[in-house]
Amino acid sequence: MAALLQLTEVRRHFGGVQAVDGVSLEIESGTIFGLIGPNGAGKTTLVNLVTGYIQAQSGSIRLGEDGTAAELARRRPDVIARMGVARTFQTLRLYRNLTAFDNVLVGMHARRRHDTLQQIAPLPTFQHEPRARLAKASALLERVGLKPNEYGMRRAGTLSYGDQRRLEVARALAIEPRLLILDEPAAGMNPVEKDRVRDLIRQLNADGLTILLIDHDMRLVMGVCNRIAVLNFGRKIADGSPAAVSADPEVITAYLGRQAEKTGAHVPGAETATIATAAHQDTGASKATKATGRMLEVSDLEVAYGAIRAVRQVSFGIDEGEIIALIGANGAGKTTILNTLSGILRPRAGSARFLGIDLTVTSPDRIVRNGLVQVPEGREVLARLTVRENLELGAWVRRDRQAVHREINALSERFPILGRRRDLPAGQLSGGEQQILAIARGLLARPKLLLLDEPSLGLAPQMVDAVFDVIKQIHEEGTTILLVEQNALRALEVADRAYVVETGSILLSGTGAELRRDPAVQKAYLGG
Amino acid sequence: MTQQLLNAIFIGSIYALFAVGYTLVFGVLDVLNLAHSAVFMLGAVITYSLVALHGVPFIFAALVAVLVCGLLGLVIEFVALRPLRRRNAPPISALISTIGLALIFVAIVEQATPGTLFSWLWQDGANSVRFPTGAVPNPTYHVAGLTLEGTKLGILATSVVLMLVLGYVIRFTQVGRALRAVAENRRAATLLGIDVDRIFASTLFLSSALGGLAGLLFGLALSDISPYIGRDQVELKGLAVIVLGGMGSIPGAVVGGYLLGLIEVLAFVRFGSNVEAGVAFAALFLMLVLRPQGLFGARLKERL
Amino acid sequence: MDFFIQLFTDPVLFYNSHELLIAQVGVNSILAISLFVTFYSGQLTLANAGFMAVGAYTTVIMSLYLPLPLPVDILVGTLLAGAVGFLVGLPVLRLRGIFLAIATIGFVEALRLGVILNVPITGEGQGLKNPGADPLGGIVPILVSLPIIAYLVWRLTRAKVGHAWAAIREDELAASSNGINVPLYKMIAFVIGALLAGYAGALETHINFFVDPTEYSVTRAIQILTFAVAGGTTNVLGPIVGALFLTSLPEIIRQASAYRDVVNGVILILVIIFRPQGIVAGGGLAINRPRWWPQNWRLRGRAASAN
Repeated sequence: MAALLQLTEVRRHFGGVQAVDGVSLEIESGTIFGLIGPNGAGKTTLVNLVTGYIQAQSGSIRLGEDGTAAELARRRPDVIARMGVARTFQTLRLYRNLTAFDNVLVGMHARRRHDTLQQIAPLPTFQHEPRARLAKASALLERVGLKPNEYGMRRAGTLSYGDQRRLEVARALAIEPRLLILDEPAAGMNPVEKDRVRDLIRQLNADGLTILLIDHDMRLVMGVCNRIAVLNFGRKIADGSPAAVSADPEVITAYLGRQAEKTGAHVPGAETATIATAAHQDTGASKATKATGRMLEVSDLEVAYGAIRAVRQVSFGIDEGEIIALIGANGAGKTTILNTLSGILRPRAGSARFLGIDLTVTSPDRIVRNGLVQVPEGREVLARLTVRENLELGAWVRRDRQAVHREINALSERFPILGRRRDLPAGQLSGGEQQILAIARGLLARPKLLLLDEPSLGLAPQMVDAVFDVIKQIHEEGTTILLVEQNALRALEVADRAYVVETGSILLSGTGAELRRDPAVQKAYLGG
Repeated sequence: MTQQLLNAIFIGSIYALFAVGYTLVFGVLDVLNLAHSAVFMLGAVITYSLVALHGVPFIFAALVAVLVCGLLGLVIEFVALRPLRRRNAPPISALISTIGLALIFVAIVEQATPGTLFSWLWQDGANSVRFPTGAVPNPTYHVAGLTLEGTKLGILATSVVLMLVLGYVIRFTQVGRALRAVAENRRAATLLGIDVDRIFASTLFLSSALGGLAGLLFGLALSDISPYIGRDQVELKGLAVIVLGGMGSIPGAVVGGYLLGLIEVLAFVRFGSNVEAGVAFAALFLMLVLRPQGLFGARLKERL
Repeated sequence: MDFFIQLFTDPVLFYNSHELLIAQVGVNSILAISLFVTFYSGQLTLANAGFMAVGAYTTVIMSLYLPLPLPVDILVGTLLAGAVGFLVGLPVLRLRGIFLAIATIGFVEALRLGVILNVPITGEGQGLKNPGADPLGGIVPILVSLPIIAYLVWRLTRAKVGHAWAAIREDELAASSNGINVPLYKMIAFVIGALLAGYAGALETHINFFVDPTEYSVTRAIQILTFAVAGGTTNVLGPIVGALFLTSLPEIIRQASAYRDVVNGVILILVIIFRPQGIVAGGGLAINRPRWWPQNWRLRGRAASAN
């Protein structure tokens, strides 16, 4: 079969980072092609390159069977769209104030003739085209599973999250594309909703549409794709059938962080087993043993973004001196939980008590003052300030200048990077160095509970080792830690206890060791 | 010519002072405070009012005026800005609400004539006045063939000192670092325990105090105090300055201020006063088209 | 109060004694609509005052020096304003949000200070006398063209162009993914706004004996902005209502005329905080609103037959 989309040695860098480093792949007409890889691997960048939002610096992107193939690189996004490439967005970009019909009608823009004159004089003879368009829009809504009569007139922003995702697909289909690119279409959905997405994808493909699918949900990707490419650090590390890719050791390493043990290592392929949502038991172990006291108690937490229920009925607790890990795939709600603890988000229901204060009503700065400090996802160092200034700001809530001064010096000795680069803008440090800076900065606030959000994100394996060593060290020195990680195995190695989070709920819990050996964890982690 | 250059430096100082306040708010809050020029005007008006209508000594009046302008900054924050932030309104809304406040401030002064509601503040309606002679000590010095007025030297000195102090605070104190942190990344700043709302209020206070100071210095240097000095003299020029220097950059505002003063004087010398007025906008337009981030600003990008 | 009494009891007399006001409301409405068009496509520009000036000055200068009939003068003024709009739009439309607003402010002031005040033919600071002005007759084209313009703009928002504008306003990036040539449609909106503003400027000179450069400053642009924002930016009626209300306010409340700007300012603040979509919010920003959409009947019919 002929290749519909052909990428050859596509390269793109930003500053010093090679976001896409010589990627080549081919998507055959009529197939479903999957693109996977850890966060920051370059998947969305690649999509943006193909659809024209970013310009490739070298390489070629050709659309169409050989002979009629056209070069896409360096063209405007709307031109590429009109050539037949439609997409949805990772972050969901609907026209929120327009109705569902409007959204789809706008999607038809390229296929619509200019009708200014007809609109100015709306004679009956001119009604034919608008009606045809409307009929087509209705058909598209039906195709994605949205009943036109119910949903057509509703403002897009008022639809439920799953329906919004489907509407975006309908809108993309309106341009009658040859290639449909779906960027995380199932993000944040529960297994039932995901199955419906899977069915929709299959249906569209059965009708002849070529689809490029990007997602983190292995079950979805493996279950629906004919072929899969895996990206890591901007390079393609695997390209083949789902079975081949899921057994590829390099892929497993990239995702899990280390060679999975023979026993129990179980990367799911086409299994469609639904996760046993056996009632999550908070291991009574913690309640019984540590008499040192409960530091943090979270009960029935519910957090929502508009229509999206990001955190559903989450309950857990942390005792003084523990390291607790929250693991689960991207979009599971882990960061939302942390942000609620830090006071940046407010829950719809439930409570979170920390050393006697109610986190759900306390202002963020007071929460920090009380000893709950977060090192956010992506590090968020203040790039334009120097390393030293970042550290000094870490101690914002403290008054004891002398002690802070001494501690900064101590930290600089302990992490020589901080000492050597102290007057450089923090933005110039490498990812791993920034992570260490962020942790040191967090420590300077004298936290009683330190929240670490994805400390290994986007880091090369050696840096990951270094970072986790640091985490172990500070824990041994007595800091209580709540660790959120996609890198399940590393997290479970250091944690005393852990919780597995999927689509906003806690699925499993247990000690680090228990969960590490549990085959269901691998399923849950990779299937979340 | 050298006399003209000196003028350029004096007027540049005032532009710089005004622009620093402007850019401070933009850098930290991401908001263009179009009421800033109205505060500039009120700085002059309040000082004049205290000196001419109430017989207060100049220095004292100036201090009070600056303080009051700072408080007006808080009014701007609480009335025009905070409600919009609480509602997650788009940035354009802040533009419009500050325009509204500016309209109100100017109109109040414009309509103030003897016998009206605000006659305690201002009695000259739409007219322009100057500080009463003798109210401000103004010795003149003659050095190397140049005439140096005491007031203008005072202005230069005040501006330079203030900008140095501000620069020091921003670079070397914890508060300054917090300000920079909020300007760069609000979320990260919150996670450090910084009370972002408080920072906003302080920024508006500081910025408006500076704006008011620039206004009264203007009124002093150019003997021109009227409800329109904000709008006619600095509002748009202030925009030109921060665009030239880079929005959000304080060194940019300083450099831009002096640069504009220089350009204006050169244009005046070369082409006469008619072109001088339009020069600022030609510069503004060109800079936006060629290099929107200005000399020192950072490029803006949107995430996909 | 007698204002309203007269309005309702003796409309003819009301019309005769308030002609100038009605004409001004008409002109301001067209100006507000010109702003509405660019707003609708998501752009905040304050350049209309500049385009107004182009239209106004061109018309008057032509009528003073060329023996052409007035409608030709107005037409040329309008088209010239559109051409200037195109030229200004080329460099400026790449800018987003605040930067666009500032650039257009720069344009207006550069035009006024740099060009108008320096070119002898415009009468420079003194402005121009327009002996051909006809305050009574001049109102007719205004009252006739306003509903036509409003209708045309309304229909435009329903056409392919209008859909593209709405998409760009909602989300420019998504719009390009839907095959919409964003720079092109932005320019179209900008030029149409310029044409309308130029036309309004030309009409306005017809009712004034005098063309004054201070009329075309940023202050005027902000005033027009107030009309559009307060009236409502979701449909064509909004700017008209805003212009109507705010232009006549000083007439209705004599005391308010002195503090008109204070009132304008307060209204701006209150509207933008509490009702950002304006007084005439209508069905929101959706292009196709349920009750006005004839296809609705078809839908119901289809639904009925499907069941």
